[in-house]
Amino acid sequence: MTTIPYKHQMAAHCESGTLTTMLNNNGLAITEPMLFGITNGIFFGYFHHSKSFAFPAFIVRSRPGEMRKITQKRLGVKFATATFRDPDKGMSALDRLLEMNIAVANQVDFFYMDYLPEWERVHINVHFMTVIGKEGDDYIVSDSYFPRLTHLHKDSLRKARFAGGNMSPKGFIFHPLYVPEEIHYETVIPKGIRKACYNMLKLPVPFIGVKGIRKFASRITEWPTLTRDTEHLSHEIMKINILLEDQGTGGAGFRYMYATFLQQAAEKLNRSEYHDFSKQMMEIGDNWRKFSLFAARIGKNRDLGPEKMKQLSEMLYELAGMEENFFKDLYQTV
Amino acid sequence: MEVTDSLKLEIKNMIMTTLNITDATPDMIDNEEPLFSGKNAITLDSVDALEIIMAIQRTYGIRIADQAEARYSLRSINSMADFIVSEKNK
Repeated sequence: MTTIPYKHQMAAHCESGTLTTMLNNNGLAITEPMLFGITNGIFFGYFHHSKSFAFPAFIVRSRPGEMRKITQKRLGVKFATATFRDPDKGMSALDRLLEMNIAVANQVDFFYMDYLPEWERVHINVHFMTVIGKEGDDYIVSDSYFPRLTHLHKDSLRKARFAGGNMSPKGFIFHPLYVPEEIHYETVIPKGIRKACYNMLKLPVPFIGVKGIRKFASRITEWPTLTRDTEHLSHEIMKINILLEDQGTGGAGFRYMYATFLQQAAEKLNRSEYHDFSKQMMEIGDNWRKFSLFAARIGKNRDLGPEKMKQLSEMLYELAGMEENFFKDLYQTV
Repeated sequence: MEVTDSLKLEIKNMIMTTLNITDATPDMIDNEEPLFSGKNAITLDSVDALEIIMAIQRTYGIRIADQAEARYSLRSINSMADFIVSEKNK
């Protein structure tokens, strides 16, 4: 089987990167931050300890799959998608598409991406990459976290596509059926901004958006009562850094990527005020990064007394205030 | 700006100061060996990586925004030097 001609690109985040590269290869010029902004990828949600969550969790971007769905709705792209119960059928379906010269995006467990160094690989079931060909027992892969096209053995891909556990991929694949030739930026950028502002300010859910950041701020001081011991608390506090910075987040919980989107929006729409919004969002990103580093330091040093937990809470309240002012002002522009 | 041995030494010193490393000297750190692999004289983790990202921002005025960029630019002393030079020459 031959390899499909495919221009590989690295990206900040696997889902937006996979989508962007796929659209670029199908003739639509769009950048990763622009796609992130148009599909209102920026988000915040805090989920406190409950029956569904063994320990509090937070998210800084929209749900996996949401960017693809909004890409369809807002940009007019049509994707074919499929999941499989039977791994044999799932692998055969992939091979058939490759034989038809169609590059196919796959949802996989990141751990089985053997081409990446061992110390970078963890079990996450929502990694995305694109398979663009097959040579013997190896698939040819375009992964936005790897600098060039690479190979992955068929057994590793099978394990990765059909890994069990939370958010298991179930062999999920997608590829474009129709990609428009151009984007009406004047329409879709304001829509993306409006929806992002709505999500961050007005969604009537007490743990989403700015309200979610405040919820996080008020509840984080309770975390010591939810953990078994200092070791457990340290582990949970250090996960803050992992979620904000360590797992392809677009930097500082995606805030830097959104800042780049606003910079590009200023150029596309010839609206200079978005340059100022971009600078403000960069500063907000810097503050998220400071919060992340502070959490990582106190977690690593097991320095987790009430005073430090209070400091974390205060930093979050400050971030909530910054984001509230930012999104209120941004909302006025659309 | 060019990639020079003195820049690489400067980067090693920045890392050692930032992370308060006292059990190794700059000459013990290999320029090419990955810093996260456990095979170099010092081994970094993701918290160290973030400390270095912020130190690079303070020292050279370069903001490393995304993790794909960070992952490759922080991999070794050589990749860090290449990254800093390419950003400064932009």
